[in-house]
Amino acid sequence: MKRVLVLALVLLVSTMFFGNFIVTMVTDTGGLGDQSFNDGTWAGVKTAEEELGITAKVVQSYEQADYVPNLSNAAKESKVVIAVGFMMEDALKQVAPQYPNVYFVGIDISETGIPNVKTYTFKEHECAFLAGFLAAAMTETDVLGFIGGIPIPPVQRFEWGYRAGVIMWNDLFNDDVQVLIGYTQSFTDSQKGKTMTEAQYSQGADIVFAAAGLCGLGTFEAAKSAGEGFYAIGVDVDQDHLAPGRILTSAMKGVNMASYYAVKDAYEGFFEGGHENLGLVEGGATLSEMKYTRDIIPAWVLVMLKGLETMAIEGEFVVPDSEAGVEAFLQ
Amino acid sequence: MDWLRALLDTVSNPVFYKLTLSSATPLLFAALGGLYSEKTGVTNIALEGIMLLGAFFGIVGSAFTGNPWIGVLLAMVAGIGIASLHAWASIRFCANQIVSATALILLAQGLTGFLLEPVFGQPGSTPIFNRVSEIRLSFLGKETFLYKMIGTLSPFVYIVFALVIVTWILINKTRLGLRMRAVGENPEAADTLGINVFKIRYFGVIMSGLLAGLGGAYLSVGELGQFSENMTGGKGFIALAALILGNWSPVGAMWASLLFGVAQALNEQLQSNPILSIPSTAKPLFNLLPFVITLIVVGGFVGKTRSPAASGTPYEKRG
Repeated sequence: MKRVLVLALVLLVSTMFFGNFIVTMVTDTGGLGDQSFNDGTWAGVKTAEEELGITAKVVQSYEQADYVPNLSNAAKESKVVIAVGFMMEDALKQVAPQYPNVYFVGIDISETGIPNVKTYTFKEHECAFLAGFLAAAMTETDVLGFIGGIPIPPVQRFEWGYRAGVIMWNDLFNDDVQVLIGYTQSFTDSQKGKTMTEAQYSQGADIVFAAAGLCGLGTFEAAKSAGEGFYAIGVDVDQDHLAPGRILTSAMKGVNMASYYAVKDAYEGFFEGGHENLGLVEGGATLSEMKYTRDIIPAWVLVMLKGLETMAIEGEFVVPDSEAGVEAFLQ
Repeated sequence: MDWLRALLDTVSNPVFYKLTLSSATPLLFAALGGLYSEKTGVTNIALEGIMLLGAFFGIVGSAFTGNPWIGVLLAMVAGIGIASLHAWASIRFCANQIVSATALILLAQGLTGFLLEPVFGQPGSTPIFNRVSEIRLSFLGKETFLYKMIGTLSPFVYIVFALVIVTWILINKTRLGLRMRAVGENPEAADTLGINVFKIRYFGVIMSGLLAGLGGAYLSVGELGQFSENMTGGKGFIALAALILGNWSPVGAMWASLLFGVAQALNEQLQSNPILSIPSTAKPLFNLLPFVITLIVVGGFVGKTRSPAASGTPYEKRG
């Protein structure tokens, strides 16, 4: 009995010192500092680090060719590896089966079917829907703008939801608000984000929603320069503070929530492979609290937003997540 | 017909011209920089790296003094610094200029990425700092076409077009310019006539660092008030193309940069134009417009361009 106890103690001590629970997050090319989903995911990991006393590390990817080596190296020394971004899907599928004892978490990645992989996607269209409705309510010119990075599914879902929100507004109030759409084909070129926003402002838009990573910072700068009457809408995390008063709201996805719970489950031994699609119901797609703009939004609009949110949660209508769905929405 | 209407829509929109100018400005800075260097016989494909470093130090200056113009100054100094390395390697040690310049691009990318964390406490991008404010020509009247077109331009735009004139005069009308051209065409002959080839080449490369640094500063403290990793996104290479397309002349480089600016502005305006109904998956194709236009122009309209004869060959004193 004594021997067993000693053994257990030795094991416990050695795991405390040597078996440190390491979580490594591998960013996509946007990298940390994107004020967007890489930063959001990292925030969730940091929360888990503080709470559970694990060790959190981050590895930056500079080009797409880095994904596979970065994931493999991370897997060699960690218990949990987090792959951030839709673009890492193939790399994750390639690396994860080679390390069956490591837990892999994929953010913005769809079902893989690999037992040690847990992936999350988000119903971006649901929060974008609310943002679109709000923008349609606030526009003075009846023209809105949307700027996407690269048209990959998570970005397109923002576009579809946003347009659906505008369609809902037009339908309810018999209005004719339209949406201008542009893609920068980059998640990093902020100057392009700025000039494209200026282009849309000049074509009559007064509120531009940027779902384009760092390009969005250019959109905020354009909104600041244009001043009174011009707004931007932020994406992924609460970006409202980046240009206080000029960012109407941010369409947030719960990347921090996903990474936090994934790490916590793995740490506590409840990790299960599979897939989750988080939306309004789970708090995985929400609008920001609108700290700086709440005062300029009419109270009845806020009430309507709340109402639409409840209706969507209760399934009274389904926000479309495809081009065809948007075209058929409310028809 | 829709296309024609959309195109008309675009060219009758004053902001189209503003966007053309602001997209052309960073290219023109770097292209003029490349011109100084190549005229004296040193190729400088490191423009991309120099711009990146300029952009970074521009923000450092603005962040620590609160004055964006100090940032601009610092960007020029940083540009001169990194260009001196190129000059030192390729003039003093006759190193292969392509290799040395490529090394500098990698150095600039690595250095700015690395320094972000210790200097600003966060990787990837910096917070937003003061930037150079636009010159507002309110006397044009707030709602006029002209005001929307050129009423709110960055001072950098004025500076770069002034530099085109200054450079043209310097290259074509002064003794220094004549010497630069001589050294770039035939360094042996220039040396025989008592011109200090090394000194002239150092001058050329250092000027290229200063100007490309300014181009980088325009992107960070001029446009955004913020630096993010690899924010130049290949603009240094497009500037190089503008220099070649403009046949190594300041005015030519200006037209070439403006052409790229037009393509960029067209891309942005046409994509968002509601008259054209294009599926979003096809929209990124518009971003190829600048490159398609370049190919057409280079292949179809511009004749053979000629670089300075000694460009790219190191000069070794004989005897």
